[in-house]
Amino acid sequence: AATAEMAALRGGPGWLRGWLPALQLLRRGSKAVTRHWKAMHFQRQKLLAVTEYLPPRPAVPPRCLPAPRDRPQEEDGYARLLRRQVEQVFRSSRMVAVCQYNSMPDEDLVTMRHYLRKHNIEVKFVLNEIIRPVLEQSKYRNLLPLFVCRNILLVSPETRAREMLRVLKGIPQVNLLGACIDDTILSRQGVENFARLPSLEASQGQTVGALALLPSQTSSLLQRGPSFLTALLDEHIRRLRDTGAPGEAPQEQGMG
Amino acid sequence: PAGPGGVAVPRAGLKKLVLPPDYSGITFPEKPKLKFMEKVPAVPKVRREPRALRDLRGPSREATDFIQGQYGILALGGGYLHWGHFEMIRLTIGRHIDPKSMFAVWRVPAPYKPVTRKSLGHRMGGGTGPIDHYVTAVRSGRLVGGGGGRCEFGQVRPFLAQVAQKLPFPAVPVSRESLQEMRRQEEEKRLNNQNPWTFERIVTSNMLGMRKYLSPYDLRLQGRYWGKFFLKHRV
Repeated sequence: AATAEMAALRGGPGWLRGWLPALQLLRRGSKAVTRHWKAMHFQRQKLLAVTEYLPPRPAVPPRCLPAPRDRPQEEDGYARLLRRQVEQVFRSSRMVAVCQYNSMPDEDLVTMRHYLRKHNIEVKFVLNEIIRPVLEQSKYRNLLPLFVCRNILLVSPETRAREMLRVLKGIPQVNLLGACIDDTILSRQGVENFARLPSLEASQGQTVGALALLPSQTSSLLQRGPSFLTALLDEHIRRLRDTGAPGEAPQEQGMG
Repeated sequence: PAGPGGVAVPRAGLKKLVLPPDYSGITFPEKPKLKFMEKVPAVPKVRREPRALRDLRGPSREATDFIQGQYGILALGGGYLHWGHFEMIRLTIGRHIDPKSMFAVWRVPAPYKPVTRKSLGHRMGGGTGPIDHYVTAVRSGRLVGGGGGRCEFGQVRPFLAQVAQKLPFPAVPVSRESLQEMRRQEEEKRLNNQNPWTFERIVTSNMLGMRKYLSPYDLRLQGRYWGKFFLKHRV
């Protein structure tokens, strides 16, 4: 008994009979959950400091690497629609003229549209970023250099270059750059020459006339020999009638 | 594109039209505004309850995910909400939402826990005081209130942040996507932590006898909670 009490005395004041640390140690300090920030035991602070989060450190910092390229954006439905419209325009029209467009007043634009509409020419505004890929893939690759600045397309199913040039002459803000008529690329000079050509019907008539010239002469050519002979014989009869007796005439008639 | 002299020439291309948000799957509750919460429950408690602050400790088990709405206020710490807080939330949110296109719901119950107070000027002792008021306990990670409707997070965030600032615990406005993103980032942090020593590892294997200085609750809380506080920076 004496040894047990001495051992307890040596341990500390708390270690008496019936003393349990689980019960008694709770009496000191505040409860576990407090409204204020409870001071942590130093060992706990050390533990939290040791177990802090360490972010990953790549061997090459990301800011030394080239910036990641933006992934190609999703195909815009609106752009797809515009491209389809452009392809449809190129397919359906015979004449496509590219003009440079400088800003003009709205009423002038409407007037120009009206005049061109009278000649069945439509005015279409196009965006370069849409039309460039379309042209690259189609056969109109050589029209690419024309689509640089603000431009408009004058499209028509018929080739009325003369009226178009007349309208555009009166508008200083729209300048013709080039045209593609019947799958032929023409420059501004080419379009003017084309306009000076006679119309299709006239040239067709001319060609038909030229071709039909020789056949029309065939019948006259064939009849030339007999007609000469007839003319000679008639001349001969006349001379005989004038100079000879009338009895020889019925014989000539029976032979002729 | 570079212009003359190397100066960039601004160019306007095709406008990228954005589709308006799709609000098709949203069902509105009968009353779009927040219900009035009573100060005292219908059946007032007779028995005075011990303080039991342990209902603030640790992560929340209920109301951690969205049910009806799309936006809400997430509590990042434990605390008690009393009637004043409820009124503040109800009036602020009610003032800012448009009842025709937005609705708001409560995610916490009305005050149920009685809190006692002794009258001023008395000495310690003499038993517990009478019930003064009622409160609701909120643990961290719980959604306090929320809503939704035909609106964007950017519209809703300012006044939700205003409300969140006035709450007795730290709180942030969240949307479904932002909560998911927060959880994903936490998970990522946990996975790509370069520190080989984690709190979890040291406590579960009781390295260096650490459990002498830690509570048995730390096994469950893993060093992310301290009292009613939520330590956001801890992994």
